[in-house]
Amino acid sequence: MSAAPRRRWRMTRRGFLIGAGALGGGLVIGVAAGLPALRLAMADQMAEAFTPRDISADPLLWFGLMPDGRLQLTVTKVEMGQGAHTALAQIVADELDLPWGQVDIVQVGSVGPLTDPYGTSNSNTVSSLFMPLREAAAGMREMLREAAAASLGVAADELRAEAGSFLVAADPARRVSYGELAGAQAEWRAPAEPPAPKDPRDFTLIGQPLPRTDLPAKIRGEAIFGYDARAAGMAYGAAARPPTIGARLRRAGAGTAMQQPGVLKVVIRDGFAGVVASSRAAAAAGVQALELAWDAPQPYSSAAIEAMVQADGPGGSPIQSAGSAWLHLVGPRLVAAEYRTPMAAHAPLEPQAALVDVRPDRVIAQVSTQSAAQVAQSVAAAIGRDPATVSLTPTFLGGGFGRKLVSEAAIEAAILSDAAGLPVHVGWDRTEEFRNGYVRPPTHSLLRGALDAAGRIVAIEHLQASGDVTFGFFPRSFQLLVGSDFGAWRGARIIYNVPNITVSAKRYALPVPTGSWRGLGLLPNTFAVESFLDELAHAAGIDPLAFRLRHLGDDPLGRRMAAVLQRAAERADWGGRRGDGRALGIACCVDVGTVVAEVAEVSAEAGQIRVHNVWAAIDPGLPINPDGVAAQTESAIVMGLSSALKERLTIRDGQIEAGNFDRYPILTMAETPNIEVDVLRSGDMPLGVGEPPIGPIAAAVANALFALTGRRLRELPLSLV
Amino acid sequence: MELEINGKRYDIADNPPRMLLYVLRDELGLTGTKFGCGVGLCGACTVHIGGAAARSCITPISAAAGKAITTIEGLADGAALHPVQQAFLELQAPQCGWCQSGQMMAAAALLAANPAPSDAQIVAAMATNLCRCGTYGRIRRAIARAADLARRGGES
Repeated sequence: MSAAPRRRWRMTRRGFLIGAGALGGGLVIGVAAGLPALRLAMADQMAEAFTPRDISADPLLWFGLMPDGRLQLTVTKVEMGQGAHTALAQIVADELDLPWGQVDIVQVGSVGPLTDPYGTSNSNTVSSLFMPLREAAAGMREMLREAAAASLGVAADELRAEAGSFLVAADPARRVSYGELAGAQAEWRAPAEPPAPKDPRDFTLIGQPLPRTDLPAKIRGEAIFGYDARAAGMAYGAAARPPTIGARLRRAGAGTAMQQPGVLKVVIRDGFAGVVASSRAAAAAGVQALELAWDAPQPYSSAAIEAMVQADGPGGSPIQSAGSAWLHLVGPRLVAAEYRTPMAAHAPLEPQAALVDVRPDRVIAQVSTQSAAQVAQSVAAAIGRDPATVSLTPTFLGGGFGRKLVSEAAIEAAILSDAAGLPVHVGWDRTEEFRNGYVRPPTHSLLRGALDAAGRIVAIEHLQASGDVTFGFFPRSFQLLVGSDFGAWRGARIIYNVPNITVSAKRYALPVPTGSWRGLGLLPNTFAVESFLDELAHAAGIDPLAFRLRHLGDDPLGRRMAAVLQRAAERADWGGRRGDGRALGIACCVDVGTVVAEVAEVSAEAGQIRVHNVWAAIDPGLPINPDGVAAQTESAIVMGLSSALKERLTIRDGQIEAGNFDRYPILTMAETPNIEVDVLRSGDMPLGVGEPPIGPIAAAVANALFALTGRRLRELPLSLV
Repeated sequence: MELEINGKRYDIADNPPRMLLYVLRDELGLTGTKFGCGVGLCGACTVHIGGAAARSCITPISAAAGKAITTIEGLADGAALHPVQQAFLELQAPQCGWCQSGQMMAAAALLAANPAPSDAQIVAAMATNLCRCGTYGRIRRAIARAADLARRGGES
């Protein structure tokens, strides 16, 4: 790469920044999304320094059209199995009228404080980038159109784009390809106003079930994950682990670690002790040989931690209010119930892993993380470096599920590499992964509802309590500002048309680190609220599907909910005859704008719960890739079922008991039901899909079990024995 | 000690005694085989030894020496994907992909021993290959599809 490209930056009317420049012989456009003020500051910064080396470091995403006509899409959003890369490629290729298969995707990190502070989370990759990406791609298309007009000697409006070329509408034989245009022109100017993106009726690739771009490498075992990162001259690192949760290292000595074969270095510094060695086994043996003394806090059990989370009593923050629920929560037709969910582990199949090379002038890292920018900051802080000197590339992730928003392994590898002067890889073993991260917090819900004589809900009160979810990631000043932990109460609000509603959320900072788990509070809260809806339906003597439908508003959201409920019910033959010993349950949720309904079919022979079928209907607005949406829905249902049927993370004498999958079983193929997913389209904007479908499944199963047995199960994991 | 992996011979140190997985991944650079649990519970490290599925994280190198070892990198015949790989691609089975090498190796070993497995036999063979992304349904269908592809390939 040679000279800095020429470029022009402009604010678009949406406050997104489009930059364009010539680079590597092609045309390159960068896209950023966020606060306009931040982006203006970024534009100033870029005006001073815009070189090929750091172009990938600044925008959230940039794409370059190369002289061979291929588009290189460079993204900071990571691929962790959710299919985000494929969806982004579909969006940009569609807007550019580029044939499918001509897009190459490169996943990069970000450097400095301005880039992508959110990482890949909250099911928002596609929804947040949809419009900025289309505007930028439309900009590129129009720049190419101008160049094509000059090249073909016709007016720009005489041209139409087709399959990676511009051709003269009246004389299609006269054409010029994007690649030729990109290679021929050295200086580009972005349009003053971003051109209008395509009419959704003209979409060709958006809405198609195209194959995932990341799978060819994955099926050949060639995809590189954080645990696979390698470098010349590298060594392996391991760190000492506290014997109980929250224990602090009081004193550490090398012990006999240096006498262990293969051990290269013992690293002891404030609160940290670790070993660098020539193999993973030698590093682990070295850690075992250290002399360590710990200060352990009072050891808790999971029962004690769960008991700390109490929804009753003062201290709840109001999160939803309509009418005067308290006035109506009296009388004979009052229903009250209490729900609990336990702690849960993420258990990604790939544990924490990172390769870090700390050099005198810079730091190079490859990390399995959902949040490259945050991890780069934490690595820099751990070794006292300027974050701008940390070049961090996120790898493919062997599962994220909210666990990889941080990377303890990257910090450990950085400390060890800094001390040893070698690139160091740290890959946690399964026991480290189970015991040293953060967990999904326990929750407690108290619900009360009042029905009128006609069987309509007059009032609902939901007092919700949870250990912190997002607060662990934010500074205290921010916590005070927002008051309640919005992650913890995700899914706690009442989504039905009820005149009197009170919902409040209480948060608890627990003695075990708690944080985001796929969907955050969505599964625990939807389990409580949608089970309770079922209780109200039965109390009213009305079919649970009909009961839900009669409590939906005649508004866009109400109609979308009705559509998914009816579709899932229809597919399940709701109301039809069931075989002996089987029953159905239904539940739904609204999350990040997406609506989902799920129907579960269960049996329970000798108390053994079995889920045979699940029918789901999901409406994510505009499904970019319907098969990708279906795959995410299947995935969320399986993970949610695993939580609903099997998972309870327990703590004994201050330590998480599970050290491997034998003590923390997750759902297997034999336990996985047949799952059928209908994907509905209701609009022209895509909404999130990675998390919403995890919401309803636990309640759908519990509601089916009630229909089957008459027993209402109000605690996860569900058990009849 | 010599290991024969994907038809190629590798010289490795005899000592210390170690499990095949770490030799593959950390000494020979064959990172397609994955670490998941380290104790044979999850199946992410599944390879073939002498044609049978084996968990490389609990297989000592001494037990693998002298036998033909196949890893995911050697499953395809050059550019031609193994029917299991074709079917996993066709059904878009993998998500994050971390467990999938082990899933495909377990599936390929099943089909080698039983070219037309019933659905129950597929589930039994895959019972302890864990997937946190929940791709089980697609894997189950992909294995049946792979059996189909292999049968057609054999006929043509």
